Amino acid sequence: MKIPPLALTLCWSLLLLMPLPRCYALDLPALIREVETRYQGASSHALVTMEIRTAHWQRSLQLEIWSQGRDRFLARIKAPIKEQGVATLKVDQEVWNYLPKVDRVLKIPPSMMGGAWMGSHLTNDDLVKANRIDRDYTFRLLEEDAQGWLIEALPKPDAPVVWGKLLYRIKRTPLVPVLISYFDEEMVEVRRIHFNRVRQIGERWVPLRMLIEPLEKQEQTLLEYSEIEFDLPLAATLFSVRSLKRH
Amino acid sequence: MLWTMAVRNLWRNRRRTLLTMSALMVSVALLILSLGIFSGMFAAMLASATQQYHGHMVISVPAYQDRRQLHDSFPYSRQLLDRLRERDEILGAAPRLRGFGLVSRAGRTEAGELLGIDPGREQQVTSLNRMLTAGVFPSSGQGNWVILGRGLAAKLEARPGDELVFFTQAADGSIGNDLLQVTGIFATGDFTRDNSLALVSLDWLQQLLVLPGRIHEIALALRSPMSAAKLVPVISGQLPPELEVYDWGRLLPEMQEVIASYDVSRFILMLILYAAAGLGVLNTFYMSVLERVREFGVLLAIGLKPAAIRNLVLLESLLLGMLSLLAGSGVGVFMTLLLSGRGIDLSRWISSVTYAGGTIPPRLRTELVVDNLLLPGLVLLLVCLLAGYLPARRASRLQPVAALRGD
Repeated sequence: MKIPPLALTLCWSLLLLMPLPRCYALDLPALIREVETRYQGASSHALVTMEIRTAHWQRSLQLEIWSQGRDRFLARIKAPIKEQGVATLKVDQEVWNYLPKVDRVLKIPPSMMGGAWMGSHLTNDDLVKANRIDRDYTFRLLEEDAQGWLIEALPKPDAPVVWGKLLYRIKRTPLVPVLISYFDEEMVEVRRIHFNRVRQIGERWVPLRMLIEPLEKQEQTLLEYSEIEFDLPLAATLFSVRSLKRH
Repeated sequence: MLWTMAVRNLWRNRRRTLLTMSALMVSVALLILSLGIFSGMFAAMLASATQQYHGHMVISVPAYQDRRQLHDSFPYSRQLLDRLRERDEILGAAPRLRGFGLVSRAGRTEAGELLGIDPGREQQVTSLNRMLTAGVFPSSGQGNWVILGRGLAAKLEARPGDELVFFTQAADGSIGNDLLQVTGIFATGDFTRDNSLALVSLDWLQQLLVLPGRIHEIALALRSPMSAAKLVPVISGQLPPELEVYDWGRLLPEMQEVIASYDVSRFILMLILYAAAGLGVLNTFYMSVLERVREFGVLLAIGLKPAAIRNLVLLESLLLGMLSLLAGSGVGVFMTLLLSGRGIDLSRWISSVTYAGGTIPPRLRTELVVDNLLLPGLVLLLVCLLAGYLPARRASRLQPVAALRGD
């Protein structure tokens, strides 16, 4: 079939006139959501070693973790023996702790959400606020290159957040977080989370090692996933106060 | 001779003298009473802060008082406590360990401050054992008893006999949790304290926090709390070098400022009362001098020196002041003592006020302090002399001839 030269020229010029997309329109909240849910999928089950180092002590916990969607999370200590069975349940914005020694469930009051989670450098707030980041913050692309992106997140005016600013360093391929910096209300960087040991699990790439580093002191928490599986069928009743007691 | 004349002169116009005296008397009595009320208020405020919680003096690792970090503890030595108790100035010494965490009962969870105490020794330092509104104060340093502040108990809906869970992070990083049995509820009137404080056994808290044999503080009760600052270097000398002594002035700097500002208010109050009284005295003596111009003329004519005339009038005013002071102090001290015991209960109209770390109870109660008598007395005599000086000078400058003529 012969194409008329005029039409061809027209086509070419049209193509040239069209603005070239830089790659594709970047949906920043979606990207952040994608990064924040790296470890979750529709559901997940993982075995994690948590090593905590502080100025006064150092310890290692073995945790078994289940999650469903972004709002349900259950973690149970497997070792050491002294704390075996201690569990944390998060449903939406609420957190409960189960204490097997006294066989009681404690709901963390709002005033204590800033407290350390299981003695680590993560807080209860980190557990409940992480699933709202794409809704509570506005995002701005600071840098973009072949490697990935640097995205700044500033809290929306009335959002119930604890940080003044977040900085995400995200890798393009595979799509994983590299570093998240946390700034307080005075815009001082107070914490960093480094992600590495990226492995492919099923269809997704997951950094199996997460290093939480508070900057004001020489301390750290290292989370290391020894096993993680996604999208398995989990009963919704697993994430209930009642099942928290069952162990 | 001048004395006799002064007494006689005062007595000549009895009504005027008595009226002036009564004005002075009321000033002195009221001043002493109000200073007594001030002192009573501050004593109650200080007592509430020290006897309900801190003690008059606290010994700890230097960093502990600023940050209250779990790790800033030191080994508990009974010998050290006994050595401190031997001092005459120290009425009691009590070891304490402090832990912050969650207190929970039946679905209610609150943040709380747990103070691990030795009940026997604690009673020598604080009066918490006398502030129970329910239950009993434990006698043993062991066991899993807990005494809750009234507000905390209300938030947890806990009563004596109930079981609580305490949940915290121990000193080794592990998760500390255990059951407690409520044996009593206390009320200090200080809302922050009543809403968060819980007393537990020192041994129990040491185990829970994995701080065996360690404490955060030694609290001391002193015989004379107001001289705590002077005792600091003495006590410091008896301690191992890593420990520091904090008197209540350093623990409660706001309260020290309040008490210092009291000196200013005391002065202002005195100024106001005495300015009025002093003008009264001035008026009385001007009148009396003007009435007695002829008399002074006679005295000068028969050879009395002008200086003697001046001294006579001054002596009269001083005498008036002294008599008023005596009577006024008597009345003032009597009223102060009347209100110094139980005082007047005002709780029907006002509730307790927490201010500068202390609590002012709803009770009008005075405290008799020697300072409150000496200063007003001294200043009153000065005011009388000052008020008497102008009339006295006038009297001494009279010309005998003119005075006798009665111009």
